[in-house]
Amino acid sequence: MPVFKAPFNGYSVKFSPFYESRLAVATAQNFGILGNGKIHVLELSPGPPGVTESVSFDTADAVYDVSWSESHDSVLVAALGDGSVKIYDTSLPPPSNPIRSFQEHAREVHSVDYNPTRRDSFLTASWDDTVKLWAMDRPASIRTFKEHAYCVYQAVWNPKHGDVFASASGDCTLRIWDVREPGSTMIIPGHDFEILSCDWNKYDDCVLATSSVDKTIKVWDVRSYRAPLAVLNGHGYAVRKVKFSPHRRSLIASCSYDMSVCLWDYMVEDALVGRYDHHTEFAVGIDMSVLVEGLMASTGWDELVYVWQQGMDPRAS
Amino acid sequence: MATHQQTHENPSISEATNEVSETAKLESVFKNSEPIREDQVENAIKFLSHPRVRGSPVIHRRSFLERKGLTKEEIDEAFRRVPDPSPSEQTAVTSQDGQQAVQGQIQAVQHAPAPVVMIPPPSLRSRFRWYHAVLAVGVLAASGAGTAVFVKRSLIPRLKSWVRKIMSEEENDPLEKADAKPSLAEEAVAAAKAASAAASDVARVSQEMMKTKSEERKNFEELMQLLGVQVQEMKSLSNNIRYLERNSNNLPKVYSANQEVYSGLVKTPAERRPYANGSNVDYDTRSARSTSPPAPPADSSQPPHPKSYMDIMSMIQRGEKPSNIREINDMPPNPNQQLPNPRIAPKAKPWDYGQPPQDESSKGPWWQQKNPRSADFGYETTTARSIGIRNETSTTEPAAIQKQRSWVPPQPPPVVMPEAAEAIRRPKPQAKIDQEVVAAASDDQSGVSDELQKVTKFSESGGDGSGRLEITEIQEETEHQHIGQEGN
Repeated sequence: MPVFKAPFNGYSVKFSPFYESRLAVATAQNFGILGNGKIHVLELSPGPPGVTESVSFDTADAVYDVSWSESHDSVLVAALGDGSVKIYDTSLPPPSNPIRSFQEHAREVHSVDYNPTRRDSFLTASWDDTVKLWAMDRPASIRTFKEHAYCVYQAVWNPKHGDVFASASGDCTLRIWDVREPGSTMIIPGHDFEILSCDWNKYDDCVLATSSVDKTIKVWDVRSYRAPLAVLNGHGYAVRKVKFSPHRRSLIASCSYDMSVCLWDYMVEDALVGRYDHHTEFAVGIDMSVLVEGLMASTGWDELVYVWQQGMDPRAS
Repeated sequence: MATHQQTHENPSISEATNEVSETAKLESVFKNSEPIREDQVENAIKFLSHPRVRGSPVIHRRSFLERKGLTKEEIDEAFRRVPDPSPSEQTAVTSQDGQQAVQGQIQAVQHAPAPVVMIPPPSLRSRFRWYHAVLAVGVLAASGAGTAVFVKRSLIPRLKSWVRKIMSEEENDPLEKADAKPSLAEEAVAAAKAASAAASDVARVSQEMMKTKSEERKNFEELMQLLGVQVQEMKSLSNNIRYLERNSNNLPKVYSANQEVYSGLVKTPAERRPYANGSNVDYDTRSARSTSPPAPPADSSQPPHPKSYMDIMSMIQRGEKPSNIREINDMPPNPNQQLPNPRIAPKAKPWDYGQPPQDESSKGPWWQQKNPRSADFGYETTTARSIGIRNETSTTEPAAIQKQRSWVPPQPPPVVMPEAAEAIRRPKPQAKIDQEVVAAASDDQSGVSDELQKVTKFSESGGDGSGRLEITEIQEETEHQHIGQEGN
């Protein structure tokens, strides 16, 4: 299984929705505390070395997240530590990039998510407690959602309803929003500690998972949100990211500060179905390919990006 | 928002109409439809009426109630019922709180000089406890001084006059008595004046203390700014050094995490909030952010950070900057650069049609060779066997699937009788599908079980690939094997 060594600490990895063999990686210097950032676009190749970099973009500040456009195959959006949101065109050489830079957030932008159904807009979540809605061709944000009392760590679109999204925040709540409504439509006090990540079930549009500093992942049904459907224990430290499989209804992947990547099936009794310990520092980024079933990628503060098929050892050569 | 729908006219329109009908019914799913719980509102009112809570910003009060599980409606109702000077203003709150605090202080100071026997004003907040203490001390000192003066000036002459009276009894009595009384009154007045003077001294002192505190804060701000300037200068210095030392190896050494737990050194974004909100310090976002990982849980099971992470954190706290940072201009060279023409049409998502794309041709590269025993996540190499099996079945599949992926098929016809569709299925997966349908059905509590939704769910639960009836008929045998392999 191929490994890519980046010069900076990894923060996020995302597969392209257009090309099976393409993925983007967001990295930050000095663990993202203070320093530059870099976006890598990687290509998987059949023969060795397995993964190569096709282009990279330097940024002045850390890149915390990256998301591929669902409408333009060569475009990606980056969330930066200086509060800016930048758009890159991988078909243009680095000196012509970025093609847009939006400076509106007052603090670090922690996540960016492109709308997979409407394909025309994207969300950014920031430590300034707000979530913003943008379109690529507009010079300013379309909406700002300001209700959380603390940093918003992630905002994710619902895979079936193009106007609904969820946001996970350090104020320990998960909020469901509808862009047609002025404010949030549901507030779920999901955990007693900060909620770092959330993701919708791709096959059940009312189910979503949250991961928290309290080391657990909880699966919720918005129709009966007082109690979770499942509580997944097993990580030794805060769970940094959670992702529902695009191919299997109840499969969840997660990565944690305990340096492991875990796979869960929340509908069975013994939920932990897989565990990978390939990282040697915090594992902070994870993605599952929409185009290739079973293909996963992860990245961490050890500056490595692994791409592997479920069931294989990521470190196998 | 119907822009940018490029080539997928048919499915997007049907998608939109599906969504319209679904969202009309399912929209309520993403909204809270519970009635307002009176007991929760009562609790919230008690909470909001507490004096300490009234001093906190509104956003914190709302956040607390949200974490306790109250809905928006209940919180709004509680706020409506509790008389609150600043009900929903978030931005005005901090300034208002500041004003209230200052007013409280001024009131406290003004209360002090009035009566002879002084009690500390009750409106002082616990934050200003040391003010309280200083004021109390001052008050005591003033009253003590006043009493002392009073005693000295009134009691002692009285004593003297009494002594004189004893010594020279008959003669000067009426005169001295008359003298003593006016002098007594005078002395009382003088003592009161002295007490009030002392009290006003105390008031002045406390005001001066407040002034010095604000001065100190200003000094601190100046210090921060100076530090910022220093950082800038160091940055330019380091850039010059960079140019000179191009070849030095600057990879941050990443040691594997050791077992020590570093507590307390990792600052959270939380600790920087007071500065961002309270004072007007110009927060320089390019100066060090405290950390990226958020606060650990209260039982302090903090993950061990890499050694170099702690090195960098301590560097930042000392005011130094890591030397490997470059000056990069990442602004768009052409902000009006046109978006590129997309070369590929957007692909359908696997969950839109309830059928995961199965692209396991034997000629496929390594990333497509899915391990069918994916339930068994051990590291044994079962790929050889799996590829063998795949070879047999994948001959007809990929062609159909490839065709599907470039041509967007229409929606499958709605299944009116889910039970009938179920009956078509094989026994082995049927058991599994049974389970899923039962689970899904039990989830539909609130009558949201739209026929269409059931159908969608059902076709998804048959997501082993048998959502399309046509393929079911044509490729029964290959399907069977697929389901057999993927049925986990």
